[in-house]
Amino acid sequence: MSAPPRPAGERPAWGAIVPFLLPAAVFYLGLTAYPVVRTLWNSFHEVLPAGDSFVGTAHYAALWSDETFGRAVRNTLTWAIAAPLLEVSIALLLALALYAKVAGARFLRLAWFTPVLMSYVVVGILWAWIYNYDWGALNVLLRALGLEEWTQPWLGTTYTALPALILVTTWMWTGFNMVVLLAALHSLPSEVLEAAELDRCGWGARLVHVIIPLVRPTILNLLVLSFVGKMKIFDLVWIATKGGPLWSTETVSTYTYKRAFEWSTFDLGYPSAIATVWFVIVMAGVGGLTLALRQRQRLEY
Amino acid sequence: MAGRVLLRAALTLLIALWTAFAAGPLTWVAMISLRSTSEFLAAPYALPESWRFDKYATAWTASGYDTYFANSLIVVGTSVTIVTIVGAMAAHCLARYRFPGNRAVYFLIFSTIVLPPQITIIALFQTLAAIGLYDSRTGLVLVYAAVQLPLTVYILESFFARIPADLFDAARIDGYSEWAAFWKVAFPVAMPAIATVVILNTILLWNEFLYAVVLIADDARRTLPLGIQKFMGDQLEDYGMIATGLMIAIIPVVLVYAFFSEKLIQGMTAGAVK
Repeated sequence: MSAPPRPAGERPAWGAIVPFLLPAAVFYLGLTAYPVVRTLWNSFHEVLPAGDSFVGTAHYAALWSDETFGRAVRNTLTWAIAAPLLEVSIALLLALALYAKVAGARFLRLAWFTPVLMSYVVVGILWAWIYNYDWGALNVLLRALGLEEWTQPWLGTTYTALPALILVTTWMWTGFNMVVLLAALHSLPSEVLEAAELDRCGWGARLVHVIIPLVRPTILNLLVLSFVGKMKIFDLVWIATKGGPLWSTETVSTYTYKRAFEWSTFDLGYPSAIATVWFVIVMAGVGGLTLALRQRQRLEY
Repeated sequence: MAGRVLLRAALTLLIALWTAFAAGPLTWVAMISLRSTSEFLAAPYALPESWRFDKYATAWTASGYDTYFANSLIVVGTSVTIVTIVGAMAAHCLARYRFPGNRAVYFLIFSTIVLPPQITIIALFQTLAAIGLYDSRTGLVLVYAAVQLPLTVYILESFFARIPADLFDAARIDGYSEWAAFWKVAFPVAMPAIATVVILNTILLWNEFLYAVVLIADDARRTLPLGIQKFMGDQLEDYGMIATGLMIAIIPVVLVYAFFSEKLIQGMTAGAVK
């Protein structure tokens, strides 16, 4: 959060404030706030092209026993917990490698960042090819290493499809996390690191006792950011697997989309109930994480 | 000493492996984009024997990529212009004027960054359909501007808040209205931050898929990500041409990155560093 606003006179200058804020307010109220409220309203109705009818909490009750929804929730949560840990830990390792003053660090930093600039549509197609059974890079590599029996149709097998997609987001986002961590490392006071060096701390000890505690706020921010991103994930799955095989990569987003726009049930109420439940879970998750992490920080000082 | 050398070697190996992993897929797709599908299937990892740049012309004219590209340009250009102006006005207002509810408004806008898109997208579909903007570029432009508004306000507000108040006092003494002070003082001073949000929003919207797939139906109004998806659906086995299409979407992003890499990195990482 930034500095508090500075006064521009004693009384609020409503004559300036209102016109400056009005366009943003129109966009916000019309295309964000109103749709949220309408989705809540939808979730208590059967919303058909012919008209709406009130159904109370029937959608929520149906959701409770919807096995596909349960599957989607488990997949998304797996993704939202595994991916942040993978991305941030690998990124920290890479950031430390570049921090140790490697030749060409500036170029490497730019190169590693590139995957995150691609559209998920591009990334999804590209990685579906990398996982191709006959000529995909992964199986080609395994065959070259003499591990023929390990080859898989990676996106076509129920127990490998989700880990394979989690690897894709790791490929995509690790460079981003690395750049942020590298900036945090460079902003550390050099005296602290020098002092650790004088104390003859080994690399491992310095990492655990000096570096990680100092960049902890950044690490926590990155974990939350990555968590939120994975709770929303849609495009990659839609392009690479459409949720298959057998719902093994179904996420809450893809399931909502299917129920709203793909299945010929035409009812927009049920997917709205899914969206509402997920909205509450995401908000609770973000709120809980932020609160818990802040609490721990306070305890330490 | 030996430990040092070993550590160096391990680091170098790690760096080399990650570089291959990070850059390999993009290099590969760039190669495929210049080869025919039969050449590709004969040797998936070979370099192009002859560089078939004419495939780009074919994709552009025969597969509708000219339309998709133009749609992306129009939709992204318009929505970025709108969100920059609307967002800058709001950010300036929140940073400069003290009024009851200032922080509440800021927090309300800021917190929508974490909203999952499903919570709005079904109702946006209904609303746009009701007002005749479903399957129109105008509708998509408005939604895009609204979607990027929180991030824009968030980045710009922190920059505007650092502009010294003296600058505005001087402007007032010179007889500038509040409106003129915004356009002639705040906006030019904030140019570095404005450039960051423009570049960032351009890339994010250029790559956007979910809102587009829900709100656009007709082929003539498809943006690039939708066009690529459609082409892949139609020509599932024509890997060579699909790769060319992917490159048509990637190249503008790479160009922007080549010229503005630091700005783009700044924008994408804003808020992540504390």
